[in-house]
Amino acid sequence: MKTLRKKLFRDLFANKWLFIAVTIVIFLGVALFGSSFMAFLNLQNSYDYSYEKLGFADFTTKVTSSPPDTVKELERLPGVKAVTGRLNTDIGLSLPQKGGQSLIATAISLPQNSRPQVNDLKIESGDYLSSNDKYGLLLEKSFAEYHNLKPGDSILLDGTAGEIEFITSGIVTSPEYIFPAKSKNEFFASPATWGVIFFSDEVMSELTGNNNINEFCVLVDEDADVDSVIGLFENELAPFGVVEVVTSDEQPSNAGLKMDLQEFGEMAEIFPVLFLFVGAMTTFILLSRIIQRQRNQLGLMRAIGYSRRQVLWHYLSFALVIGIIGSVAGIIAGYLLAESITDLYIGMLGLPYKITGFHWMAMEEGVIIGLLPCLIAGIFPALAASRLRPAAAMRTPPPATGRKPLIEKIFPFVERLSLLWKIPLRNIFRNRRRSLSTILGIVFGTVLILASAGFLDSIDSLFSLQFDQIQKYDARLSFAQPVSQETASAVLDWDGVNEAAPILELPASLEHGNMSFSTLVMGIPPETDLYGLYTPDGNKEALAEGHILLAVAIKEKLGVEPGGPVTVVSPYYKAAFTVDGFVRQPMGSFGYITLEDAQQLVGSQAVISGILLGMDGSAIPGLRNTASQNLDAVAVEITDEIESQMMDLMELIDVIMWIMLGFGVILALMVVFTMITISLVERRREIATMRTLGEGSGRIAAMVTIENLILGIVGLVIGIPLGYAVAVYLMRLVQTDMFSFDLIFYSRTYLLTAGIMIVVMLVSELPGILDLNRLDLAKVTKEQVS
Amino acid sequence: MAGNNVQIDINNVSKSYPMGAFKVDALKGVDLKISKGELWVVLGPSGSGKTTLLNLIGGIDSASSGRITVGAIEITSLNERDLNQYRRENIGFIFQFFNLIPTLTAGENIELAAELVDKPRDIMAVLSDVGLHDRAGHFPSELSGGEQQRVAIARALAKDPPILLCDEPTGDLDFETGKHILTLIRTINRESEKTVIIVTHNTAIGEIADKLLRLRSGQIVEMKDNPSPIDPDELRW
Repeated sequence: MKTLRKKLFRDLFANKWLFIAVTIVIFLGVALFGSSFMAFLNLQNSYDYSYEKLGFADFTTKVTSSPPDTVKELERLPGVKAVTGRLNTDIGLSLPQKGGQSLIATAISLPQNSRPQVNDLKIESGDYLSSNDKYGLLLEKSFAEYHNLKPGDSILLDGTAGEIEFITSGIVTSPEYIFPAKSKNEFFASPATWGVIFFSDEVMSELTGNNNINEFCVLVDEDADVDSVIGLFENELAPFGVVEVVTSDEQPSNAGLKMDLQEFGEMAEIFPVLFLFVGAMTTFILLSRIIQRQRNQLGLMRAIGYSRRQVLWHYLSFALVIGIIGSVAGIIAGYLLAESITDLYIGMLGLPYKITGFHWMAMEEGVIIGLLPCLIAGIFPALAASRLRPAAAMRTPPPATGRKPLIEKIFPFVERLSLLWKIPLRNIFRNRRRSLSTILGIVFGTVLILASAGFLDSIDSLFSLQFDQIQKYDARLSFAQPVSQETASAVLDWDGVNEAAPILELPASLEHGNMSFSTLVMGIPPETDLYGLYTPDGNKEALAEGHILLAVAIKEKLGVEPGGPVTVVSPYYKAAFTVDGFVRQPMGSFGYITLEDAQQLVGSQAVISGILLGMDGSAIPGLRNTASQNLDAVAVEITDEIESQMMDLMELIDVIMWIMLGFGVILALMVVFTMITISLVERRREIATMRTLGEGSGRIAAMVTIENLILGIVGLVIGIPLGYAVAVYLMRLVQTDMFSFDLIFYSRTYLLTAGIMIVVMLVSELPGILDLNRLDLAKVTKEQVS
Repeated sequence: MAGNNVQIDINNVSKSYPMGAFKVDALKGVDLKISKGELWVVLGPSGSGKTTLLNLIGGIDSASSGRITVGAIEITSLNERDLNQYRRENIGFIFQFFNLIPTLTAGENIELAAELVDKPRDIMAVLSDVGLHDRAGHFPSELSGGEQQRVAIARALAKDPPILLCDEPTGDLDFETGKHILTLIRTINRESEKTVIIVTHNTAIGEIADKLLRLRSGQIVEMKDNPSPIDPDELRW
């Protein structure tokens, strides 16, 4: 039926702007799905390949101390593929290139002349350790890049016998530090103050005066049960004091990456669904209205002998064309976007290996999920068209029964309004489906804009909470090993230091009933203002002896209520506390006790692990120098630097949210344009009649605008709470142990969203109104009513 | 030229349908026999049931009761698919408002119908028959009302159906153009022996018919032979 095909394409061309608008909605939905899903697959493949290639441990058992020979015993256990034993310890270092700037590193021992079987490294530049360079070391890439360190550069490490000079042999990436997280509780560690270094086990013994090891990294056989092997290890290593078992899922870097991946996966589902639903709805309305306008034509087609199936297929083809063009273009754009997202993401994280490719299945899925809503949306009007009896289709439909709209019954004054207001009001109730579609377009656009804007507000508010209310200190000193509390008093004498609050951080497990949660417990002097503890309601909480404050996220983990008991447990101490309340903590989930209580946990020693500083701004730049001159093994963390690094990390989410916001505006623009244009096209005859009666085009434009604005306001009234609900739902998806923040909407966001939607409506109606001004009144008034 | 064999047999046919809040009895117990090759003109005021009668014969509407037989086919008992096949093979429609597809050219509008049958007439030949061989590539908006109606006639002829049903074919045309269209229809009736039924409210057109039928309120009020139909050129209204 090539003539019908010609008709199809010419009809599409005749309504090109409407079809383009609807196709763009489908295109955006599929592009969003394709890009996020394919980026998700690329990243997953890249992680999997990197982990496999470098033998990322299935689990790591940490012990207090164990002789290196234990490895051989463990290798003989059933289900074990490989074991690497090592010493992992914090060590102080200084960088001669940076005027001796001191910081703390996680130092990990490696075999001198062979590569580790588990948790191997990828050499990015330079060489692996060799026996020729006894004091050679390897630097983790992000740390090396931050400090601009290259192979051949020297680094001074603090040993028991004083500083030893090491020469950088190579720059490496490690499967354990793809995302350089220090620990679960210090997920966002700054490379300014912390890094990971690797050197030989022989040198490690010399430096630390310790021949033993404290970590066993394990790969299990493919068919072995990881939990069973962990059980065997715990039994075998019990004499050496098992501190913690960290499975690959719990490993901080991997957990962080998986969280990101999960977000990608969820993005791949939620936002496209919204777009495709709207796409389906607009396709349905567009096709229904086209069929309505072509009643005569389809009546003729049936009259001259076209079958129901041919008519059905013809009108379904409109939806198919939208679906095919939108899906295919969308999936191509999605593929290209996925490549860029993968590059951006992998570049940002420095993933060791990048695996990208054509994901045919994802592409097929993209095309199907783009086509399916169009087909579903198209089948109903097309079926209705095919079922119309030819004579009925060609007969002018009787005018709808006239009656007062509901609004005039409820508000009788409406009847007394001028026609300028009465006509738009009646139009809204005259074609309810059309009005409903316009409202839905506004609702969905508002939801997308508001949900994205809510994320942006929340991220902004997160920074304000973290850096203006919680971390009120200007800088923080952290020590590799606990130091005397008197150090804090000495620091107070430094230039520009106004306040110095000593703190003691203890890694511990919090237990309540049979629930437990591993975290950091922070001992803080109750009187300090440098660290703010606030309840979700915004009230300041104070620390009291024998009591503990917990981050809100821990509440659910332990199932504990205020007044309930919590036990703080570690291999060295155990003490019971009463829960005083819960405090907001966007990054990490800690427990807070008084400094005195913390010191009692470690045997009533007056030791501290860090000092929070309140300083004059002018003294901050010289703080690192002062610290390295006066203290050993100290890392200096400047709050402004951390905030700026965090902002860089959030940039990707920021970009994604701005893109979503842009998509929301486009979506609303396309939907509202489609609905308004259809509405105006259908009313050409009556508008032309009004014009012939002498109604001015300005007044008609005002009537159209009033009608659209009323629909817009209704859409906003529904869309704003719905957008809020969607944002709440999305926010729940991204909450984790490491990262939890409250959903915040600034008042200006609501106003801005409403403003954007009103501008979208006014812009959308412009082409239609301009078209009305160009109407051939003589011709249009003679057109048959449809 | 009246045929002797009955081609269309309408037996006690009634039709009613809803119109807004009302039920309209469009035809009430109509009986009629139309022979092959005859030209009938059905007259009546608006709402008399003439278009309904035409639609029932054309199989685009279904009777509420009664029986219609066309040739050997009882169309009132056909299912949707067979009724469609009946229309495809037997009926050519010509409408008052031409009902051309605006996005197809004149040639393509004819092709739309021609594609439906195994042995369609040549499109250019049909266009020549209606005097529009040079207008094949023009869109309806580029043609005058008379030319559009001639395209509609060509479209009806393209399938070479034995029956032509014309609903107010001159209703939207000026006097001279209307006469030309009627001449064309009359010529087709005479030369190809197609049965033609013209429905109109214009009583003058009745003079070109072989048989004249008057309807009022869904009932036949007059049915008569016209032994000396005049040439459409001689019509005056």
